Amino acid sequence: MEELMEELKREIISVLNLEEMTPADIDDDAPLFGQGLGLDSIDALELIVLMEKKYGIRLASASEGKDIFKSIRTMAEYVSKNRKK
Amino acid sequence: MITVLSHNIISPLGSTTEDNFRSVLRQQTAVRQWHGRFGPVGDFCASLFDDGSGATDGPAGLSRLERLALRSIRAALKGTDVDTASDRTLLVLSTTKGNVEWLADGIHPLERALPDSSARMIATALGVTTAPIVVDNACVSGLAALTTAWRLLMMGRYDRAIVCGVEVQSKFIISGFQSLKAVSPLPCRPFDIDRMGLNLGEAAATIVLGRGDDKEHGWKIVDGCQRNDAYHLSAPSKTGLGARMALTQAVGDYPADDIAFISPHGTATLFNDQMESVAIAGAGLGKVPVAGLKGYYGHTMGACGVMETALSMCAVDNGIVPSTMGFAELGVSGRITVAANAAPTSRKGFVKMLSGFGGCNAAMLLSSNKNAADRATADCHEDGPLQAKHNVHITESTVCIDGKVMPTHAVGRQMLTEIYKGVVGDYPRFYKMDLLSRLGFVATELLLRAEGGVRFVERSDRAVVLVGHSGSVLADMNYLSSISDADDYFPSPERFVYTLPNIVTGEIAIRNKYHGETGFYLLADRNDAFVDDILRSAFCDRGTNSVVGGWIECGSETAFEADLSIFERKADGGGRPAATK
Repeated sequence: MEELMEELKREIISVLNLEEMTPADIDDDAPLFGQGLGLDSIDALELIVLMEKKYGIRLASASEGKDIFKSIRTMAEYVSKNRKK
Repeated sequence: MITVLSHNIISPLGSTTEDNFRSVLRQQTAVRQWHGRFGPVGDFCASLFDDGSGATDGPAGLSRLERLALRSIRAALKGTDVDTASDRTLLVLSTTKGNVEWLADGIHPLERALPDSSARMIATALGVTTAPIVVDNACVSGLAALTTAWRLLMMGRYDRAIVCGVEVQSKFIISGFQSLKAVSPLPCRPFDIDRMGLNLGEAAATIVLGRGDDKEHGWKIVDGCQRNDAYHLSAPSKTGLGARMALTQAVGDYPADDIAFISPHGTATLFNDQMESVAIAGAGLGKVPVAGLKGYYGHTMGACGVMETALSMCAVDNGIVPSTMGFAELGVSGRITVAANAAPTSRKGFVKMLSGFGGCNAAMLLSSNKNAADRATADCHEDGPLQAKHNVHITESTVCIDGKVMPTHAVGRQMLTEIYKGVVGDYPRFYKMDLLSRLGFVATELLLRAEGGVRFVERSDRAVVLVGHSGSVLADMNYLSSISDADDYFPSPERFVYTLPNIVTGEIAIRNKYHGETGFYLLADRNDAFVDDILRSAFCDRGTNSVVGGWIECGSETAFEADLSIFERKADGGGRPAATK
């Protein structure tokens, strides 16, 4: 799980252009949206693309991603249970 | 007095405005299922021309978009007195993505994928001798183009203006809207409780405007207005602020009981329709029928402003409020009156509204009532260069603020990052921006620091008007790389958003809380007098006291330029824009 969380942080930094950030700057349990990283609705859609491209997980809508993208930890838990690649 | 001389619509529903109106009246829709038309895009619902073009005539070397535009313009010009070769005739093209399907296709040069190249090809085919303007302002482009033409006519620069809105669909556009989860798998249902998103569409439409003294005759633009939400690049303001401001000013003191209907943007996305309902109700127009046309045509992007305006004129001429195809039960919170069925009307005016990415909103009131007063700002006609209060000039290797060189070490993209870190530092959105937006952002940051004073105070009297040549071509290439490989096809929503060049104006508006007009224009090359005219025309909006804008060109990672200034309306000029003789 630790390894997956680290990987997710690296992927998020890359696809969302969070230049200047390192995985160590992202807290495992901090909210990704609103406060915390301060991501917005386009970022959420980009995370949906990431889920499909990297892990073969298809999410139909941004609202489906709401609970999954709460934090790095919730994302990692969902990925480990549902990944197809 | 500026009047409408003629108009035309070419869509899958017909080849004249009248044909299109009859189809709408018969409840015919052009939206249907398509299977595998654009490869990996899959099945989708849209309004497309069956033969893939809608127009096959015209000179060799023209794209289907250009042939389509040409056909519509020629139909509109028939029977008018327009001398296309006159130096008093202007061509304005409204398109969001032009020939983007030709981008990096291995056949066409890069230049031919730029919207400006389409405008020049069309101008040449028509024999137009003046330089054409492309308005590339996301989904409000059509009204922005009509407004710009109207203003340039008022300013006395031209006697006739041909305004054409055109869009064709492609893998590029449809995949992008799909990545934003904005596309409905079924025919769209504007303002309905069960709406699931928009359908895209193809069309060309033309409106010819002319100067004249004939106050009795026909249709005129009473007022056109654009305002920015300064809220989010792709999501509209929850309060409908920008749309409400544009609507309120466009309607002004025109009697609500002479407005036959509001033709909304009405794309049938959850957020757009909700926002518009709040804006219309907030403007006190909740009782005016709202008649949306997207159920017939889908969202034709750069074409829809011109097309839906032309169709609305025809509907009012026929004494009809069109029905909102796809609407059954109200699914928005703003208390508005959606026209579910067609109804007779004797009113003579209507309002066209549009909203688009980059936070822009536009509204225009047109009327065939001979008593309607044209709110043209009569004194928008001075000549000579505009006088800038402050200026910032950035190239890939140099920065100049008010004529003074600012030392930098890096070059190109890294130079912009260096300036960001040294001067701003606390706005991490910067890193999410494409190169064009970074360039515009850094230039305006330096400009506004030179201006001094209190920043980040909400204001709606400052416009952001940018003019360039290559527009969003770098962002286009970046997005294209996410869809060009069928085995690695993952359309990127973040990259797609930046494929609209006016996004940079949205970034500047959001950063600075500017709710004024925002616009992006494309020209063949930098022509300072022409750029000045476009900037000056923004002052024709009586709500605009200040313009931040100028030339911005970002066609390559290694060669770019922004030459932006702040202009103020003359305090003692009785509403005149800042200018010298």
